Amino acid sequence: MAVPTESHPENPNLSDPSPEPDDLDDFEAEIDEDDNDESEEDDEESEPITPDAQMRVDRVSMESLFKRLSTERVPVRVHDVLIKGNTKTKDFVIEAEVEALLKNATTVQQLLQAAGVANARLQQLDIFDSVNITLDAGPPELPGTANVVVEVSEAKNPLTGDVGIFSKPEARSWSLEGSLKLKNLFGYGDLWDGSVAYGWGQASEVSAGVSVPKFKALATPLTARISLLSQDWLKFSSYKEKALGLSLGLLSIGNHDLSYNLSWRTLTDPSQMASHSVRRQLGHGLLSALKYTFKIDRRNSPLRPTRGYAFLSTTHISGLVPDNRSLRFIRQEFDLRYAVPLGFYHAALNFGISGGFIFPWGRGFLNTPSYLPERFFLGGNSSPVCTLRGPTSILGFKARGLGPAEPRRQERGNSNNEISDVSTGMDFIGGDLAATAFADLSFDLPLRVFREAGIHGHAFACTGSLTKLTENAHRELSFHKLRESFRCSAGFGIIVPTKLFRMEVNYCYILKQHEHDQGKTGVQFSFSSPL
Amino acid sequence: MGVFTFVCRESADEWTAKQLSGELETSAGSTYELQRKLVQVALSSDSSGAVQSSFSYITPSSAVFQVVVGGASVDGNEERENLTLVARKPCFGLPTACPTCLPVYVYLRFAHLPLNLEFNLIHPDSDQIPFVESGNYVAYNNERGGVIWSLKEDGIVDLDSDVRGIPEWVSTKAMVESWLADAVMYELWVGSDGKSAYKIYYSDLPWPIGKILYLKQVRAVKQLLGITSENAERREEEIYRRSTSAYGALSSRLGEESFFFENRPTSLDAVVLGHVLFTLHALPETSLLRSKLLDHTNLVKFAESHKAEYIDANSSASVPESDPSTSASRRGPSQWSSKPKSKPKREKTEEEKKFRRRTKYFLVTQLVAVLVFLSLLGGSNDAEVELEDDDDALNYD
Repeated sequence: MAVPTESHPENPNLSDPSPEPDDLDDFEAEIDEDDNDESEEDDEESEPITPDAQMRVDRVSMESLFKRLSTERVPVRVHDVLIKGNTKTKDFVIEAEVEALLKNATTVQQLLQAAGVANARLQQLDIFDSVNITLDAGPPELPGTANVVVEVSEAKNPLTGDVGIFSKPEARSWSLEGSLKLKNLFGYGDLWDGSVAYGWGQASEVSAGVSVPKFKALATPLTARISLLSQDWLKFSSYKEKALGLSLGLLSIGNHDLSYNLSWRTLTDPSQMASHSVRRQLGHGLLSALKYTFKIDRRNSPLRPTRGYAFLSTTHISGLVPDNRSLRFIRQEFDLRYAVPLGFYHAALNFGISGGFIFPWGRGFLNTPSYLPERFFLGGNSSPVCTLRGPTSILGFKARGLGPAEPRRQERGNSNNEISDVSTGMDFIGGDLAATAFADLSFDLPLRVFREAGIHGHAFACTGSLTKLTENAHRELSFHKLRESFRCSAGFGIIVPTKLFRMEVNYCYILKQHEHDQGKTGVQFSFSSPL
Repeated sequence: MGVFTFVCRESADEWTAKQLSGELETSAGSTYELQRKLVQVALSSDSSGAVQSSFSYITPSSAVFQVVVGGASVDGNEERENLTLVARKPCFGLPTACPTCLPVYVYLRFAHLPLNLEFNLIHPDSDQIPFVESGNYVAYNNERGGVIWSLKEDGIVDLDSDVRGIPEWVSTKAMVESWLADAVMYELWVGSDGKSAYKIYYSDLPWPIGKILYLKQVRAVKQLLGITSENAERREEEIYRRSTSAYGALSSRLGEESFFFENRPTSLDAVVLGHVLFTLHALPETSLLRSKLLDHTNLVKFAESHKAEYIDANSSASVPESDPSTSASRRGPSQWSSKPKSKPKREKTEEEKKFRRRTKYFLVTQLVAVLVFLSLLGGSNDAEVELEDDDDALNYD
């Protein structure tokens, strides 16, 4: 196991009293003498030994030292952790990352291991150019102790810029993003960033945020983000959504994540073709919500899992201000994935099931419709194996191409009495109860050139259903109707992962769809982010 | 959904009914009672949803009565086939309190069309409202010159076919739709303290959103009316002068008639009625525009009588109970009172300007003090860090 610490370079002028020190005092004495020699430079008299002999003696002593380290537990106590090199960064930021770790080490081996972990943690803060951790002897009057010196060199240029293609968890698809980052402006390890993102689904976002790893005594990192997001759903559901929001990351420990979101959402319809339910929802709304996410991902790879399982549950409770005019609903979604390796051709069977529901609460909740942008929409070409975003995708159907649909406003020019045979477009208004399930068999292709490039094939079958629960529709829901509402598709395809993006070419065959669904049997391409 | 068909026969002054294909039967002394009983019998065997029934005589002593129970979707669709007007919220005793929605409502009432009234409470800055929908047909207010014109173009209702050619009608309508509409817009957003506007448009939105949208709208209205800080008083005088002459012209045109032209309701009557009702009921008593209107008693009488005939009579469920604060407005024309604010406005603006200047100075000095403090604090922190390092070096040796 590599230990990325720097140890003292051997001082060739050292006069070594005994070739095999057999207790710690002597060991410490060695290190002491190293130190003394270094700090008192030319004061020490050096005995005239030939360089060759000196080197031989040194090598023997180092070998014996390493033998001791590998066979015995050499006890040591950390006396002090010294922090150097931080001009702007506050001491407690660095101490919080490393102190507990180092002071808990009781043997030299543990200390070396802890030093490695501490180094990695400090690098992860992303505010230092380089981090060095050195182990020194403690003060001479306290035998058996060591000092740890943490030397950091802060980033010279606090401003960095970035342009790339990312896949953000809130976005429905991948997006092109440019961002500017300001590191460590106030010395608390804070990271400020501003970013502009343009997404594939006509979504654009301008946002600015700050994240502080440890603020005073709080145990979890704090993040805050202000964003202005605008999404265009005119083609699918005849509305445009604009949201100005503030989100605070409150708690992020282990598998749990809690955040608060306050946003002002506006729905408009510049095309003036919306259907009846969309017309009723156009306007402004205030969303004040708590979001709790619980995630376990034990699969061996997020893009091509061949063994393991994953579980994700997201609970979204909105309407936390006492004002009863704000939007109030409860939204719950969960994902379960399981991968079984099959042993030959690197093949694996992936199963997955996702579900979710949304329901309003508050006065008169049985008769109010659920909030339109927060409903579930099924469809799109994202691969269900890789995405853990709740019930969102069924291969073979277009984006938002599934579920309850309402006719749009009829074209002008047709009077009320004529029967128009031009089909009015349909608006997909989403559903309150969604469920999807899939089974996917992935395997390597027989040619070696494909195997090495990571290109593999897969065969899949998916099914999903989307139904409405609110406005007393749940009274008419029966088991039979629910079963009838499941659509299915199946197919096979090839996945080509490249450095810039991940491409899937699938042939989908729609086994069952309802009247207004937009499922197409045929070859489809889909692109997603490479990570 | 269940359909029950009964054959009814009269014999010796008593009606008996038997289900055509079933076992239900009942009897009663009159056809009304019979129908009531049959509906109850049908509901007791299939109690889901609304009821529709029809009774038709075949001979003077026999009839067919059909009851359709449930079929809620049929009802819902039928409702959707009727005209639905989506307008802003009702208050101040008016079926809808927004000055652009009220004329459309009155126009549809003049036309005696069966109307559903629905409200949109969350989109105060939309110019699509009011709109009329019927099934998949929608007539928005920002298309083709307004809802009334769209309804005429699409052949749904047209009350102006005779008068459209009269030049006086056209110019009176133009005067009302420009001068009086501007006056109401000014009075609602700029001239008064904004409480009425807030109640009509923003009382159903959460507070921060309502406040921001209100400020945006005030700015937009000022831009639309061309009001800047320099010409504010001039524009105000001009607007009031124009409204005075408009009221005078309308009053003399109306005289003692009940409609403006040809003794029939037209869209001009709808617009004027909407305007007058809004000014009388929704604007505060201190409003100057309102006091100018009260000088013309025949306009006030015109508004009150038509309101009683067309709006209150049809209201039933569409106008909710007015809250106690507006019950004072349900008075006869002789009891209208007005307390117009006179001239303290000019001095008030002077005081406001001084106050604003002082607040600005205060905020700027606070900001400068905070910045100075932060820079001093930052410097002292660096000094502390250096001291610590020196200490460590000493300990180390």
